[in-house]
Amino acid sequence: MKKTLYITRSGVLKRKENTLFFVDEDGKRKFIPVEDTNDIFIFSEIDLNTKLLDFLSQKSICVHFFNYYGYYTGTYYPREHLNAGHVILKQSEAYLDKKLRLDLARRFISGSINQMKQVLRYYANRRKENNELLLGIIEELNSSLLKLNNAETVEELMAFEGHARENYYRGFDEIIRNDDFQFGKRSKRPPLNRLNALISFGNSLCYTMILSEIYKTYLDPRIGFLHSTNFRRFSLNLDVAEIFKPIMVDRLIFQLINKRMITQKDFEKEHGGGILLNDKGRRTFLEQMESRMRTTVNHRHLGKNVSYRRLIRLELYKIQKHLLGEKPYEPYASLW
Amino acid sequence: MRDDVYPVTGTHIWYYFICKRELWLMMHSIAPDQEDENIDIGRFLHDYYSKRGKEEVDIGSGKIDRIKKVGNELVVQEIKKTSRFKESSYFQLLFYLEQLKQMGIKAKGELLFTEEKTKEQVELTDENREKLLEAVKDIQTYAKLPVPPSPKKIKFCNRCAYRDYCWAGED
Ligand code: SF4
Repeated sequence: MKKTLYITRSGVLKRKENTLFFVDEDGKRKFIPVEDTNDIFIFSEIDLNTKLLDFLSQKSICVHFFNYYGYYTGTYYPREHLNAGHVILKQSEAYLDKKLRLDLARRFISGSINQMKQVLRYYANRRKENNELLLGIIEELNSSLLKLNNAETVEELMAFEGHARENYYRGFDEIIRNDDFQFGKRSKRPPLNRLNALISFGNSLCYTMILSEIYKTYLDPRIGFLHSTNFRRFSLNLDVAEIFKPIMVDRLIFQLINKRMITQKDFEKEHGGGILLNDKGRRTFLEQMESRMRTTVNHRHLGKNVSYRRLIRLELYKIQKHLLGEKPYEPYASLW
Repeated sequence: MRDDVYPVTGTHIWYYFICKRELWLMMHSIAPDQEDENIDIGRFLHDYYSKRGKEEVDIGSGKIDRIKKVGNELVVQEIKKTSRFKESSYFQLLFYLEQLKQMGIKAKGELLFTEEKTKEQVELTDENREKLLEAVKDIQTYAKLPVPPSPKKIKFCNRCAYRDYCWAGED
């Protein structure tokens, strides 16, 4: 499997013959084989030139940029290298047709709520005792699922989802049980406490990883079904992230906190009052996220083990099949 | 051969006899997973064999592995690794012979299987020509299908670059 390159030190990234070449601020040099590189995440101040960008386009490599605070700033998405008119037509058709769009949007939301339930159930089963709160939330999520059928617009669906998510977040304090990481209330720009900082950082990684995978398919990332398209921003990755955030991000956060891999020392305060992961915290998070993405799970349909990253690709294939009219999309449901 | 409906190529003939779904996906420009290891092997084999022989010969809608002249006769050679997909190879070669025939060139065919080191003579007859034309017509029908044929588990799936796409989410 090709690798994701994470750059957390400042420096210069260049093309050198047929490889990537990185010199950090202390003058340390490193060659990175381009054939082995899937995508690049940049979290630091990097100098780069158009020669490099040309090279990356040629090798079909996306670059995701995050600013000093770890906020996602944008993606260099080389002109799509895969292009099938038929798929784009079908994707647009599903977007423009109200009924088709609502149907697909509903599938994303129900997949998302099911994944939230799965996360809560995992911890409720581990606890055995004092799990009434978690079980209660699962019940409420079940009733949210039933309500989805009543939604007549995508906006209504989004409202149901928002409500379900609020309920889901109520379980976080119970799962974490650590005063350093109280949930309080969801705050995004900026995150106002440590847990929110972790969620924001994790979610933005999830969005960008999915974007990298979309690049390897025929789907157009600008046409989302749940998150409206305005043809300037990527939105399909946000839709697909609904399915993966609970297992990719939330489960990872619980693990990082509960195993004390990340503690209050890994955060800092931004001028605007926001709380953010510091450099070290960010690195730990990235390392653990990457190793999680490489973890393989048995895939009963393919009869082989596939990595989480590959699961994302398979999910995109399923969406493409839905759009082509082959098979209705059934979101991934983790079994544990 | 009338191919004004959908330009059928030798590659289409090849896939038609292996997997109709693969044929449909190809015809709709949906290429397989570029990271699949089998694709790399395919590319390697292709480069390797075409460098050993003469360059490929382009005859309009298809590429022929090699053409040689034996006495007064033109012989079209099609080189394959194994005879596992013999039917496909056979009709692909027939297709080239038919195309040459339409250009007024009479030729014979030779099918080479490198792994088994065997050689087989192929000639256009009324009978196999009829089968070939039927396949071409059928391929044109497949081109118009709005939805790809569902995947069917066959031996070829294991080495097929569409594998993950076909079987993602299938029970
Ligand atoms: S995986 Fe199997 S069904 Fe799918 S295209 Fe390949 S051969 Fe056909």
